[in-house]
Amino acid sequence: MMNQTIVKDDHSRVVLQKTTQNFFLYIILSCVAIVTVFPFLWVFFTSFKGPTDAVYSVPPQLIPHDPTFENYLRVWELLPVGRFFTNSIFVTLSVVVLNTLFTSLAAYPLAKMKFRGSNTIFYLLLVTYIIPPALTAIPSYILAVRVFHYYDHIQAAILPYLATVFNIFLLRQAYKGVPDDLIDAGRVDGASELRIWWDIVVPIIRPSLATVAIITFVEQWNNFFWPSLVLPTMTNKTLQVGLVALQGAFLNDSRGIAAGVVMTVVPMIIFFLLLQKQFIRGLTGAVKG
Amino acid sequence: MTKKFSLTPYLFLTPALVAIAIFVVYPIFAVFYYSFTDYSIVTPPVWIGLKNYSWLIHDTIFWRSLAHSFVYLLVTPILIVLSIILAIVVNRKLPGIQAFRALFFIPVISGSIAVGIAWRLMLDTNGIINAILLSLGILKEPMQWLAEPALTLPFCMALTIWLGVGYYMMIFLAGLQNIPEELYDAAMLDGCNSWQKHWHVSIPGLRPQITFVAVISSLAALQVFNEVFTLTGSLGGILQSGYTVVFYLWQQAFRLSHAGKASAIAMALLVITLAFSITNIRLLERGTETD
Repeated sequence: MMNQTIVKDDHSRVVLQKTTQNFFLYIILSCVAIVTVFPFLWVFFTSFKGPTDAVYSVPPQLIPHDPTFENYLRVWELLPVGRFFTNSIFVTLSVVVLNTLFTSLAAYPLAKMKFRGSNTIFYLLLVTYIIPPALTAIPSYILAVRVFHYYDHIQAAILPYLATVFNIFLLRQAYKGVPDDLIDAGRVDGASELRIWWDIVVPIIRPSLATVAIITFVEQWNNFFWPSLVLPTMTNKTLQVGLVALQGAFLNDSRGIAAGVVMTVVPMIIFFLLLQKQFIRGLTGAVKG
Repeated sequence: MTKKFSLTPYLFLTPALVAIAIFVVYPIFAVFYYSFTDYSIVTPPVWIGLKNYSWLIHDTIFWRSLAHSFVYLLVTPILIVLSIILAIVVNRKLPGIQAFRALFFIPVISGSIAVGIAWRLMLDTNGIINAILLSLGILKEPMQWLAEPALTLPFCMALTIWLGVGYYMMIFLAGLQNIPEELYDAAMLDGCNSWQKHWHVSIPGLRPQITFVAVISSLAALQVFNEVFTLTGSLGGILQSGYTVVFYLWQQAFRLSHAGKASAIAMALLVITLAFSITNIRLLERGTETD
Protein backbone atom coordinates (compact mmCIF):
# COMPACT_ATOMS: atom_id res chain seq x y z
CA MET A 1 0.00 0.00 0.00
CA MET A 2 2.61 2.50 1.08
CA ASN A 3 4.82 1.37 -1.67
CA GLN A 4 2.10 2.09 -4.16
CA THR A 5 1.53 5.67 -3.04
CA ILE A 6 5.24 6.31 -3.23
CA VAL A 7 5.32 5.02 -6.78
CA LYS A 8 2.26 7.07 -7.69
CA ASP A 9 3.67 10.14 -6.01
CA ASP A 10 6.91 9.64 -7.75
CA HIS A 11 5.14 9.31 -11.04
CA SER A 12 3.16 12.53 -10.74
CA ARG A 13 6.27 14.28 -9.52
CA VAL A 14 8.14 13.11 -12.60
CA VAL A 15 5.32 14.30 -14.85
CA LEU A 16 5.24 17.66 -13.13
CA GLN A 17 9.00 17.90 -13.36
CA LYS A 18 8.81 17.10 -17.06
CA THR A 19 6.21 19.80 -17.74
CA THR A 20 8.12 22.49 -15.85
CA GLN A 21 11.31 21.36 -17.53
CA ASN A 22 9.68 21.58 -20.95
CA PHE A 23 8.27 24.97 -20.08
CA PHE A 24 11.75 26.28 -19.31
CA LEU A 25 13.11 24.64 -22.43
CA TYR A 26 10.57 26.44 -24.58
CA ILE A 27 11.49 29.71 -22.89
CA ILE A 28 15.18 29.16 -23.69
CA LEU A 29 14.34 28.11 -27.24
CA SER A 30 12.13 31.14 -27.76
CA CYS A 31 14.79 33.54 -26.44
CA VAL A 32 17.38 32.11 -28.83
CA ALA A 33 14.83 32.20 -31.64
CA ILE A 34 14.13 35.89 -30.99
CA VAL A 35 17.85 36.73 -31.07
CA THR A 36 18.18 34.73 -34.30
CA VAL A 37 15.13 36.05 -36.10
CA PHE A 38 14.98 39.63 -34.92
CA PRO A 39 17.53 41.13 -37.34
CA PHE A 40 15.76 39.47 -40.27
CA LEU A 41 12.32 40.61 -39.13
CA TRP A 42 13.51 44.13 -38.51
CA VAL A 43 15.20 44.41 -41.90
CA PHE A 44 12.17 42.89 -43.58
CA PHE A 45 9.71 45.33 -42.00
CA THR A 46 12.03 48.30 -42.50
CA SER A 47 12.30 47.54 -46.20
CA PHE A 48 8.52 48.07 -46.53
CA LYS A 49 8.39 51.32 -44.57
CA GLY A 50 7.27 54.42 -46.40
CA PRO A 51 8.34 57.99 -45.58
CA THR A 52 5.57 58.30 -42.96
CA ASP A 53 6.79 55.24 -41.04
CA ALA A 54 9.67 56.02 -38.72
CA VAL A 55 12.79 53.86 -38.93
CA TYR A 56 13.93 55.37 -35.66
CA SER A 57 11.56 56.36 -32.90
CA VAL A 58 11.25 55.96 -29.15
CA PRO A 59 9.37 53.75 -28.44
CA PRO A 60 10.41 51.81 -31.56
CA GLN A 61 7.97 51.02 -34.34
CA LEU A 62 8.56 47.64 -35.94
CA ILE A 63 5.67 47.07 -38.34
CA PRO A 64 4.97 49.64 -41.07
CA HIS A 65 1.48 51.19 -40.92
CA ASP A 66 1.59 52.01 -44.58
CA PRO A 67 3.63 49.28 -46.32
CA THR A 68 5.07 50.12 -49.72
CA PHE A 69 7.27 48.66 -52.47
CA GLU A 70 8.71 52.13 -53.04
CA ASN A 71 12.11 51.21 -51.51
CA TYR A 72 12.55 48.19 -53.75
CA LEU A 73 11.65 50.22 -56.84
CA ARG A 74 14.13 52.92 -55.86
CA VAL A 75 16.90 50.37 -55.45
CA TRP A 76 16.09 48.72 -58.80
CA GLU A 77 16.05 52.14 -60.47
CA LEU A 78 19.40 53.28 -59.15
CA LEU A 79 21.35 50.05 -59.38
CA PRO A 80 21.42 47.18 -61.89
CA VAL A 81 19.97 44.71 -59.39
CA GLY A 82 18.82 42.39 -62.18
CA ARG A 83 22.42 42.14 -63.34
CA PHE A 84 23.59 41.44 -59.78
CA PHE A 85 21.16 38.53 -59.68
CA THR A 86 22.07 37.05 -63.06
CA ASN A 87 25.78 37.47 -62.29
CA SER A 88 25.42 35.74 -58.93
CA ILE A 89 23.39 32.91 -60.41
CA PHE A 90 25.84 32.47 -63.27
CA VAL A 91 28.92 32.48 -61.03
CA THR A 92 27.38 30.21 -58.40
CA LEU A 93 26.04 27.63 -60.84
CA SER A 94 29.23 27.56 -62.90
CA VAL A 95 31.36 27.00 -59.82
CA VAL A 96 29.02 24.36 -58.39
CA VAL A 97 28.97 22.35 -61.64
CA LEU A 98 32.65 22.66 -62.54
CA ASN A 99 33.98 22.28 -59.02
CA THR A 100 31.86 19.21 -58.32
CA LEU A 101 32.98 17.67 -61.62
CA PHE A 102 36.69 18.42 -61.19
CA THR A 103 36.91 17.43 -57.54
CA SER A 104 34.93 14.23 -58.04
CA LEU A 105 37.28 13.29 -60.88
CA ALA A 106 40.37 14.07 -58.82
CA ALA A 107 39.25 12.33 -55.65
CA TYR A 108 38.58 9.03 -57.41
CA PRO A 109 42.16 7.89 -58.15
CA LEU A 110 43.26 9.20 -54.74
CA ALA A 111 40.83 6.78 -53.12
CA LYS A 112 40.74 3.83 -55.48
CA MET A 113 43.92 3.58 -57.59
CA LYS A 114 47.53 2.73 -56.82
CA PHE A 115 49.93 4.95 -58.73
CA ARG A 116 53.29 6.59 -58.42
CA GLY A 117 53.14 9.85 -56.50
CA SER A 118 49.70 9.31 -55.02
CA ASN A 119 50.97 9.86 -51.48
CA THR A 120 52.97 12.92 -52.49
CA ILE A 121 49.94 14.45 -54.20
CA PHE A 122 47.77 13.66 -51.20
CA TYR A 123 50.11 15.32 -48.70
CA LEU A 124 50.72 18.32 -50.92
CA LEU A 125 46.98 18.83 -51.12
CA LEU A 126 46.74 18.49 -47.36
CA VAL A 127 49.33 21.23 -46.91
CA THR A 128 47.59 23.59 -49.35
CA TYR A 129 44.40 23.23 -47.33
CA ILE A 130 45.65 25.65 -44.68
CA ILE A 131 46.85 28.35 -47.09
CA PRO A 132 44.93 31.50 -46.15
CA PRO A 133 42.63 32.65 -48.99
CA ALA A 134 43.77 36.24 -48.34
CA LEU A 135 47.32 35.17 -49.24
CA THR A 136 46.36 33.59 -52.54
CA ALA A 137 44.24 36.63 -53.39
CA ILE A 138 47.30 38.83 -53.95
CA PRO A 139 48.93 36.80 -56.77
CA SER A 140 45.52 35.77 -58.12
CA TYR A 141 44.66 39.44 -58.45
CA ILE A 142 47.92 40.12 -60.27
CA LEU A 143 47.26 37.12 -62.54
CA ALA A 144 43.79 38.49 -63.27
CA VAL A 145 45.14 41.91 -64.20
CA ARG A 146 48.39 41.07 -65.96
CA VAL A 147 48.29 37.48 -67.23
CA PHE A 148 44.75 36.26 -67.84
CA HIS A 149 43.32 39.74 -68.48
CA TYR A 150 39.97 38.74 -67.07
CA TYR A 151 39.96 41.50 -64.46
CA ASP A 152 36.45 42.93 -64.44
CA HIS A 153 35.11 39.95 -66.39
CA ILE A 154 32.76 37.50 -64.76
CA GLN A 155 35.16 34.55 -65.35
CA ALA A 156 37.48 36.14 -62.81
CA ALA A 157 35.01 35.23 -60.08
CA ILE A 158 34.73 31.62 -61.30
CA LEU A 159 38.16 30.31 -62.30
CA PRO A 160 39.92 30.40 -58.90
CA TYR A 161 37.23 28.08 -57.50
CA LEU A 162 37.35 25.32 -60.12
CA ALA A 163 38.81 22.91 -57.58
CA THR A 164 38.94 23.06 -53.79
CA VAL A 165 40.99 20.79 -51.59
CA PHE A 166 38.25 20.42 -49.01
CA ASN A 167 35.85 18.95 -51.57
CA ILE A 168 38.51 16.56 -52.87
CA PHE A 169 39.05 15.18 -49.35
CA LEU A 170 35.35 14.88 -48.72
CA LEU A 171 34.79 12.93 -51.92
CA ARG A 172 37.90 10.81 -51.44
CA GLN A 173 36.38 9.67 -48.17
CA ALA A 174 33.11 8.86 -49.95
CA TYR A 175 34.85 6.80 -52.67
CA LYS A 176 36.60 4.78 -49.98
CA GLY A 177 33.21 3.38 -49.00
CA VAL A 178 32.61 1.98 -52.49
CA PRO A 179 33.39 -1.78 -52.61
CA ASP A 180 36.40 -2.66 -54.79
CA ASP A 181 34.54 -5.69 -56.15
CA LEU A 182 32.14 -3.47 -58.07
CA ILE A 183 34.99 -1.63 -59.74
CA ASP A 184 36.87 -4.86 -60.51
CA ALA A 185 33.72 -6.35 -62.00
CA GLY A 186 33.54 -3.39 -64.34
CA ARG A 187 37.16 -3.92 -65.33
CA VAL A 188 36.55 -7.60 -66.04
CA ASP A 189 33.70 -6.56 -68.33
CA GLY A 190 36.26 -4.48 -70.22
CA ALA A 191 34.71 -1.09 -69.48
CA SER A 192 37.00 1.94 -69.64
CA GLU A 193 37.99 3.58 -66.35
CA LEU A 194 35.96 6.64 -67.22
CA ARG A 195 32.88 4.48 -67.89
CA ILE A 196 33.36 2.59 -64.63
CA TRP A 197 33.63 5.85 -62.78
CA TRP A 198 30.59 7.43 -64.37
CA ASP A 199 28.28 4.38 -64.57
CA ILE A 200 29.18 2.47 -61.42
CA VAL A 201 30.96 4.66 -58.88
CA VAL A 202 29.35 8.08 -59.27
CA PRO A 203 25.77 6.84 -58.65
CA ILE A 204 26.93 5.29 -55.37
CA ILE A 205 28.47 8.46 -54.00
CA ARG A 206 25.57 10.68 -55.09
CA PRO A 207 24.75 11.80 -51.50
CA SER A 208 28.31 13.05 -51.05
CA LEU A 209 28.15 14.83 -54.39
CA ALA A 210 25.02 16.57 -53.13
CA THR A 211 26.94 17.56 -49.99
CA VAL A 212 29.75 19.04 -52.07
CA ALA A 213 27.30 20.85 -54.33
CA ILE A 214 25.42 22.39 -51.40
CA ILE A 215 28.56 23.49 -49.55
CA THR A 216 29.90 25.07 -52.73
CA PHE A 217 26.55 26.66 -53.51
CA VAL A 218 26.23 28.41 -50.13
CA GLU A 219 29.90 29.45 -50.14
CA GLN A 220 29.72 30.93 -53.62
CA TRP A 221 26.40 32.70 -53.23
CA ASN A 222 27.78 34.40 -50.11
CA ASN A 223 31.31 34.88 -51.42
CA PHE A 224 32.48 38.46 -51.15
CA PHE A 225 36.23 38.94 -50.67
CA TRP A 226 37.49 37.79 -54.07
CA PRO A 227 34.60 39.00 -56.28
CA SER A 228 34.82 42.41 -54.61
CA LEU A 229 38.44 42.68 -55.77
CA VAL A 230 37.97 41.75 -59.42
CA LEU A 231 34.52 43.06 -60.37
CA PRO A 232 34.71 46.87 -60.16
CA THR A 233 32.17 47.78 -62.85
CA MET A 234 28.63 48.04 -61.51
CA THR A 235 27.04 45.78 -64.13
CA ASN A 236 29.62 43.04 -63.46
CA LYS A 237 29.08 42.82 -59.70
CA THR A 238 27.56 39.85 -57.93
CA LEU A 239 24.79 40.35 -55.36
CA GLN A 240 27.07 40.50 -52.31
CA VAL A 241 29.41 42.96 -53.97
CA GLY A 242 26.47 44.94 -55.30
CA LEU A 243 24.95 45.08 -51.83
CA VAL A 244 28.06 46.78 -50.48
CA ALA A 245 27.92 49.23 -53.40
CA LEU A 246 24.27 49.86 -52.56
CA GLN A 247 25.19 50.54 -48.94
CA GLY A 248 27.67 53.14 -50.18
CA ALA A 249 25.18 54.75 -52.57
CA PHE A 250 22.26 54.82 -50.11
CA LEU A 251 24.29 56.11 -47.19
CA ASN A 252 21.47 57.47 -45.01
CA ASP A 253 18.61 55.60 -46.64
CA SER A 254 18.07 52.71 -44.21
CA ARG A 255 14.87 51.67 -46.00
CA GLY A 256 16.70 51.26 -49.31
CA ILE A 257 19.61 49.37 -47.76
CA ALA A 258 17.15 47.13 -45.94
CA ALA A 259 15.45 46.36 -49.26
CA GLY A 260 18.84 45.38 -50.69
CA VAL A 261 19.58 43.10 -47.75
CA VAL A 262 16.19 41.40 -48.11
CA MET A 263 16.74 40.78 -51.82
CA THR A 264 20.16 39.25 -51.16
CA VAL A 265 19.12 37.00 -48.31
CA VAL A 266 15.61 35.88 -49.24
CA PRO A 267 16.49 33.62 -52.21
CA MET A 268 18.89 31.64 -50.02
CA ILE A 269 16.41 31.38 -47.13
CA ILE A 270 13.67 30.13 -49.48
CA PHE A 271 16.08 27.61 -50.92
CA PHE A 272 17.05 26.51 -47.45
CA LEU A 273 13.47 26.12 -46.26
CA LEU A 274 12.63 24.03 -49.34
CA LEU A 275 15.66 21.76 -49.01
CA GLN A 276 16.17 21.94 -45.23
CA LYS A 277 17.21 18.33 -44.71
CA GLN A 278 19.66 18.32 -47.61
CA PHE A 279 21.14 21.64 -46.52
CA ILE A 280 21.72 20.63 -42.93
CA ARG A 281 22.96 17.17 -43.80
CA GLY A 282 25.15 18.61 -46.55
CA LEU A 283 26.74 21.38 -44.56
CA THR A 284 27.31 19.42 -41.38
CA GLY A 285 27.73 15.97 -42.95
CA ALA A 286 31.17 17.06 -44.08
CA VAL A 287 32.45 16.51 -40.54
CA LYS A 288 32.33 12.77 -40.78
CA GLY A 289 33.92 12.91 -44.23
CA MET B 1 44.95 -4.00 -59.75
CA THR B 2 47.42 -3.76 -62.56
CA LYS B 3 50.98 -2.86 -61.66
CA LYS B 4 51.58 -1.56 -65.17
CA PHE B 5 52.13 2.17 -65.48
CA SER B 6 48.91 3.79 -66.51
CA LEU B 7 48.08 7.35 -67.37
CA THR B 8 44.51 7.01 -66.15
CA PRO B 9 44.88 8.27 -62.55
CA TYR B 10 46.82 11.30 -63.72
CA LEU B 11 44.18 12.14 -66.30
CA PHE B 12 41.51 12.04 -63.60
CA LEU B 13 43.60 14.35 -61.45
CA THR B 14 44.72 16.83 -64.10
CA PRO B 15 41.85 19.39 -64.22
CA ALA B 16 41.75 19.84 -60.45
CA LEU B 17 45.50 19.82 -59.99
CA VAL B 18 46.02 22.42 -62.71
CA ALA B 19 43.49 24.72 -61.05
CA ILE B 20 45.03 24.22 -57.62
CA ALA B 21 48.54 24.69 -58.99
CA ILE B 22 47.60 28.04 -60.53
CA PHE B 23 45.40 29.45 -57.79
CA VAL B 24 46.91 27.98 -54.60
CA VAL B 25 50.43 26.63 -55.13
CA TYR B 26 51.79 29.28 -57.47
CA PRO B 27 50.50 32.09 -55.20
CA ILE B 28 52.55 30.79 -52.25
CA PHE B 29 55.78 31.14 -54.20
CA ALA B 30 54.69 34.41 -55.78
CA VAL B 31 53.81 35.95 -52.41
CA PHE B 32 57.12 34.78 -51.00
CA TYR B 33 58.92 36.54 -53.86
CA TYR B 34 56.78 39.71 -53.72
CA SER B 35 57.48 40.01 -50.01
CA PHE B 36 61.09 40.92 -50.91
CA THR B 37 60.05 43.54 -53.43
CA ASP B 38 58.60 46.98 -53.71
CA TYR B 39 55.58 46.28 -55.87
CA SER B 40 52.71 48.59 -56.71
CA ILE B 41 51.13 46.12 -59.21
CA VAL B 42 51.13 48.83 -61.93
CA THR B 43 54.93 48.89 -62.26
CA PRO B 44 57.08 45.72 -62.14
CA PRO B 45 58.37 44.53 -58.73
CA VAL B 46 61.74 45.89 -57.56
CA TRP B 47 63.91 43.74 -55.27
CA ILE B 48 64.43 45.46 -51.92
CA GLY B 49 65.61 42.54 -49.77
CA LEU B 50 64.25 42.43 -46.25
CA LYS B 51 62.91 45.99 -46.18
CA ASN B 52 59.25 44.93 -46.08
CA TYR B 53 59.92 42.66 -43.11
CA SER B 54 61.81 45.32 -41.18
CA TRP B 55 58.95 47.72 -41.93
CA LEU B 56 56.52 45.09 -40.66
CA ILE B 57 58.40 44.53 -37.40
CA HIS B 58 58.38 48.25 -36.66
CA ASP B 59 54.85 48.87 -37.81
CA THR B 60 52.57 49.48 -34.82
CA ILE B 61 49.43 48.99 -36.90
CA PHE B 62 50.56 45.51 -37.86
CA TRP B 63 51.13 44.56 -34.21
CA ARG B 64 47.78 46.02 -33.26
CA SER B 65 46.11 44.00 -36.03
CA LEU B 66 47.92 40.87 -34.91
CA ALA B 67 46.85 41.42 -31.30
CA HIS B 68 43.25 41.87 -32.49
CA SER B 69 43.43 38.63 -34.46
CA PHE B 70 44.57 36.79 -31.35
CA VAL B 71 41.83 38.39 -29.26
CA TYR B 72 39.44 37.26 -31.97
CA LEU B 73 40.31 33.64 -31.20
CA LEU B 74 38.15 34.02 -28.09
CA VAL B 75 35.17 33.33 -30.35
CA THR B 76 36.27 29.68 -30.50
CA PRO B 77 35.68 28.70 -26.84
CA ILE B 78 32.53 30.83 -26.74
CA LEU B 79 31.20 29.15 -29.87
CA ILE B 80 31.99 25.70 -28.53
CA VAL B 81 30.25 26.28 -25.20
CA LEU B 82 27.20 28.01 -26.66
CA SER B 83 26.69 25.52 -29.45
CA ILE B 84 27.08 22.49 -27.16
CA ILE B 85 24.49 23.93 -24.77
CA LEU B 86 22.18 24.67 -27.66
CA ALA B 87 22.70 21.19 -29.11
CA ILE B 88 21.81 19.61 -25.77
CA VAL B 89 18.69 21.78 -25.57
CA VAL B 90 17.47 20.85 -29.06
CA ASN B 91 18.45 17.19 -28.73
CA ARG B 92 15.07 15.93 -27.56
CA LYS B 93 11.69 15.07 -28.93
CA LEU B 94 9.51 18.10 -28.30
CA PRO B 95 6.72 19.36 -30.52
CA GLY B 96 8.14 21.97 -32.90
CA ILE B 97 11.77 21.16 -32.18
CA GLN B 98 12.54 20.67 -35.88
CA ALA B 99 11.31 24.19 -36.58
CA PHE B 100 13.58 25.62 -33.88
CA ARG B 101 16.59 23.75 -35.24
CA ALA B 102 15.92 25.04 -38.76
CA LEU B 103 15.43 28.55 -37.42
CA PHE B 104 18.76 28.52 -35.58
CA PHE B 105 20.43 27.42 -38.81
CA ILE B 106 19.21 30.35 -40.91
CA PRO B 107 22.09 32.76 -40.04
CA VAL B 108 24.56 30.14 -41.30
CA ILE B 109 23.26 30.33 -44.86
CA SER B 110 22.42 34.05 -44.91
CA GLY B 111 25.93 35.28 -45.58
CA SER B 112 28.04 37.59 -43.44
CA ILE B 113 27.85 40.59 -45.79
CA ALA B 114 24.06 40.95 -45.82
CA VAL B 115 23.79 40.19 -42.11
CA GLY B 116 26.69 42.51 -41.27
CA ILE B 117 25.00 45.34 -43.14
CA ALA B 118 21.75 44.62 -41.29
CA TRP B 119 23.60 44.73 -37.95
CA ARG B 120 25.22 48.01 -38.90
CA LEU B 121 21.79 49.52 -39.57
CA MET B 122 20.52 48.20 -36.24
CA LEU B 123 23.50 49.50 -34.28
CA ASP B 124 23.39 52.91 -35.91
CA THR B 125 22.90 55.91 -33.62
CA ASN B 126 19.43 56.11 -35.14
CA GLY B 127 19.01 52.34 -35.05
CA ILE B 128 16.59 49.95 -33.44
CA ILE B 129 19.00 48.91 -30.66
CA ASN B 130 19.18 52.45 -29.31
CA ALA B 131 15.42 52.82 -29.73
CA ILE B 132 14.77 49.67 -27.67
CA LEU B 133 17.29 50.52 -24.95
CA LEU B 134 16.01 54.09 -24.68
CA SER B 135 12.39 53.07 -24.39
CA LEU B 136 13.26 50.47 -21.74
CA GLY B 137 15.09 53.20 -19.84
CA ILE B 138 18.39 51.31 -19.95
CA LEU B 139 20.00 54.20 -21.83
CA LYS B 140 19.44 57.88 -21.14
CA GLU B 141 20.69 59.03 -24.53
CA PRO B 142 21.51 57.20 -27.78
CA MET B 143 24.91 55.47 -27.95
CA GLN B 144 27.19 55.60 -30.97
CA TRP B 145 27.83 51.89 -30.73
CA LEU B 146 30.05 51.55 -33.77
CA ALA B 147 32.04 54.72 -33.09
CA GLU B 148 33.23 53.35 -29.76
CA PRO B 149 36.74 51.89 -30.33
CA ALA B 150 36.48 49.54 -27.35
CA LEU B 151 33.32 47.99 -28.80
CA THR B 152 34.35 47.52 -32.45
CA LEU B 153 36.03 44.17 -31.97
CA PRO B 154 33.45 42.77 -29.51
CA PHE B 155 30.65 43.59 -31.97
CA CYS B 156 32.53 41.90 -34.83
CA MET B 157 33.07 38.86 -32.62
CA ALA B 158 29.41 38.84 -31.60
CA LEU B 159 28.50 38.84 -35.28
CA THR B 160 30.85 35.92 -35.97
CA ILE B 161 29.29 33.99 -33.10
CA TRP B 162 25.76 34.84 -34.17
CA LEU B 163 26.52 33.67 -37.72
CA GLY B 164 28.22 30.44 -36.67
CA VAL B 165 26.46 29.08 -33.63
CA GLY B 166 23.71 27.33 -35.61
CA TYR B 167 26.24 25.51 -37.75
CA TYR B 168 28.28 24.23 -34.84
CA MET B 169 25.08 23.36 -32.98
CA MET B 170 24.12 21.01 -35.82
CA ILE B 171 27.57 19.39 -35.73
CA PHE B 172 27.29 18.77 -31.99
CA LEU B 173 23.70 17.60 -32.38
CA ALA B 174 24.83 14.94 -34.86
CA GLY B 175 27.53 13.96 -32.36
CA LEU B 176 25.08 13.72 -29.47
CA GLN B 177 22.79 11.49 -31.47
CA ASN B 178 25.66 9.05 -31.95
CA ILE B 179 26.20 8.63 -28.20
CA PRO B 180 24.57 5.35 -27.08
CA GLU B 181 21.58 5.82 -24.77
CA GLU B 182 22.96 3.14 -22.39
CA LEU B 183 25.80 5.44 -21.36
CA TYR B 184 23.28 7.96 -20.05
CA ASP B 185 21.31 5.22 -18.29
CA ALA B 186 24.48 4.00 -16.64
CA ALA B 187 25.31 7.54 -15.51
CA MET B 188 21.83 7.93 -14.02
CA LEU B 189 22.25 4.63 -12.12
CA ASP B 190 25.53 5.99 -10.78
CA GLY B 191 23.54 8.84 -9.31
CA CYS B 192 24.31 11.58 -11.80
CA ASN B 193 21.76 14.37 -12.12
CA SER B 194 20.96 15.66 -15.59
CA TRP B 195 23.75 18.27 -15.54
CA GLN B 196 26.36 15.80 -14.31
CA LYS B 197 25.24 13.30 -16.89
CA HIS B 198 26.02 15.75 -19.69
CA TRP B 199 29.35 16.61 -18.09
CA HIS B 200 30.37 12.96 -17.73
CA VAL B 201 28.83 11.47 -20.88
CA SER B 202 28.01 14.13 -23.49
CA ILE B 203 31.22 16.16 -23.33
CA PRO B 204 33.61 13.17 -23.56
CA GLY B 205 31.38 11.70 -26.27
CA LEU B 206 31.63 14.90 -28.30
CA ARG B 207 35.42 14.96 -28.34
CA PRO B 208 35.82 14.43 -32.11
CA GLN B 209 33.32 17.20 -32.82
CA ILE B 210 34.98 19.53 -30.31
CA THR B 211 38.33 18.96 -32.06
CA PHE B 212 36.79 19.66 -35.44
CA VAL B 213 34.97 22.80 -34.30
CA ALA B 214 38.03 24.10 -32.45
CA VAL B 215 40.23 23.74 -35.54
CA ILE B 216 37.69 25.05 -38.06
CA SER B 217 36.42 27.99 -36.02
CA SER B 218 39.86 29.16 -34.91
CA LEU B 219 41.23 29.02 -38.45
CA ALA B 220 38.20 31.03 -39.55
CA ALA B 221 38.79 33.49 -36.70
CA LEU B 222 42.35 34.09 -37.90
CA GLN B 223 40.97 34.88 -41.38
CA VAL B 224 38.15 37.18 -40.33
CA PHE B 225 37.41 39.99 -42.74
CA ASN B 226 33.73 40.36 -43.73
CA GLU B 227 32.51 41.17 -40.22
CA VAL B 228 35.08 43.94 -39.80
CA PHE B 229 34.48 45.20 -43.32
CA THR B 230 30.70 45.54 -42.93
CA LEU B 231 30.45 46.71 -39.32
CA THR B 232 33.11 49.40 -39.77
CA GLY B 233 31.88 50.44 -43.20
CA SER B 234 35.15 49.24 -44.83
CA LEU B 235 37.23 51.64 -42.69
CA GLY B 236 38.40 49.25 -39.98
CA GLY B 237 37.03 51.23 -37.06
CA ILE B 238 38.19 54.37 -35.31
CA LEU B 239 41.91 54.21 -34.39
CA GLN B 240 42.19 50.88 -36.24
CA SER B 241 40.10 49.39 -33.46
CA GLY B 242 38.74 46.71 -35.80
CA TYR B 243 41.91 45.96 -37.75
CA THR B 244 42.73 42.26 -38.02
CA VAL B 245 45.66 40.76 -39.91
CA VAL B 246 43.56 40.00 -42.98
CA PHE B 247 41.91 43.41 -42.89
CA TYR B 248 45.33 45.09 -42.79
CA LEU B 249 46.57 42.83 -45.59
CA TRP B 250 43.54 43.79 -47.67
CA GLN B 251 44.08 47.46 -47.01
CA GLN B 252 47.78 47.36 -47.93
CA ALA B 253 47.26 45.25 -51.04
CA PHE B 254 44.00 46.47 -52.49
CA ARG B 255 43.44 49.95 -51.08
CA LEU B 256 47.04 51.22 -51.11
CA SER B 257 48.45 48.95 -53.87
CA HIS B 258 51.39 47.96 -51.66
CA ALA B 259 51.60 44.40 -52.92
CA GLY B 260 55.10 43.95 -51.47
CA LYS B 261 54.15 45.01 -47.96
CA ALA B 262 50.90 43.07 -48.17
CA SER B 263 52.88 39.98 -49.19
CA ALA B 264 55.06 40.31 -46.09
CA ILE B 265 51.86 40.45 -44.01
CA ALA B 266 50.59 37.40 -45.90
CA MET B 267 53.79 35.50 -45.07
CA ALA B 268 53.36 36.39 -41.40
CA LEU B 269 49.77 35.20 -41.58
CA LEU B 270 50.89 31.95 -43.20
CA VAL B 271 53.44 31.28 -40.46
CA ILE B 272 50.90 32.05 -37.74
CA THR B 273 48.27 29.84 -39.37
CA LEU B 274 50.74 26.97 -39.75
CA ALA B 275 52.05 27.24 -36.20
CA PHE B 276 48.55 27.54 -34.92
CA SER B 277 47.18 24.51 -36.81
CA ILE B 278 50.09 22.35 -35.67
CA THR B 279 49.83 23.26 -31.98
CA ASN B 280 46.06 23.06 -32.18
CA ILE B 281 46.15 19.52 -33.51
CA ARG B 282 48.95 18.49 -31.11
CA LEU B 283 47.09 19.83 -28.09
CA LEU B 284 43.87 18.18 -29.05
CA GLU B 285 45.59 14.88 -29.84
CA ARG B 286 47.19 14.93 -26.41
CA GLY B 287 43.76 15.61 -24.97
CA THR B 288 42.40 12.43 -26.52
CA GLU B 289 45.41 10.33 -25.53
CA THR B 290 45.14 11.03 -21.80
CA ASP B 291 41.58 9.82 -21.96
